[in-house]
Amino acid sequence: MLFESFTDVVPSFFGWLNQGPMTLTIFLHTLIILPMFWIYHSEKKKLNK
Amino acid sequence: MANKNVSVWSSIPFWRRSAAWVTGFASILLVWLTFDSVGQITMGTDADIQKGVTKRVPAPTVINYKIGYKMSAKRGHEVPTIGEKELFFGKEWSPKEAAALLHLGKLTSQSKNCMDCHTLLGNGAYYAPDLTKAWIDPAWQNGGPLQGMTGKNTEEEAMAEFLQHPSQYSTHARMMPNLGITADEAKGLVAFLKHMSSIDTNGFPRNFSKTVETFKAGGSHAH
Repeated sequence: MLFESFTDVVPSFFGWLNQGPMTLTIFLHTLIILPMFWIYHSEKKKLNK
Repeated sequence: MANKNVSVWSSIPFWRRSAAWVTGFASILLVWLTFDSVGQITMGTDADIQKGVTKRVPAPTVINYKIGYKMSAKRGHEVPTIGEKELFFGKEWSPKEAAALLHLGKLTSQSKNCMDCHTLLGNGAYYAPDLTKAWIDPAWQNGGPLQGMTGKNTEEEAMAEFLQHPSQYSTHARMMPNLGITADEAKGLVAFLKHMSSIDTNGFPRNFSKTVETFKAGGSHAH
């Protein structure tokens, strides 16, 4: 399952994040990979100038 | 856009910015995770137990209560339960006394190097049985053979007796050596083990109840 119900004893953000294998992957890709696209394109712009 | 053939991949500032971003983000994430873990493993208080607040690691006064182990359909594994009150070595322990006893037990477990042979909460060896859930092992409970062999009437007294004279009893394929554990140290160790069994370990060790069923059906050991 992509998302599973939260079953941890002590509720926490990371507990929620790590319930299924995909949630952590999507989170890390959103926060690390997407900004790198922006870095790539802004560097390309600079070089083109 | 003077030059359309420039390569970003060979640009040093691009790699510098990427590395800075990934390293910076990972550092923040690790610090955040550390604080999150601290919150998860912080010991509860006596009031938490009385109010029924579930904590991964309950207060030392949990030794005044019956500890159970129940399958949780929601979480998909067994979860320790804190039941009604029961005397531990014939008395109810105050928060201060319980904490001191547990501390003595922890220090003894370290000085006698239990982990050289046993596993505690996933750390240690499998030369001797896993002790993480030893307290809820039916072999030590009323009517169990391990309690019976010591001639004691309660689980804690049976365990304490065994710990002081382990080489007198054959409990496992490999006999436990006599480590010179005193009566007080043995009490502390039993409290340490009882508290450990009440810690929510996300179902570790796996299949504990299955081995208990095998044991009850005539198998030799609960683990």
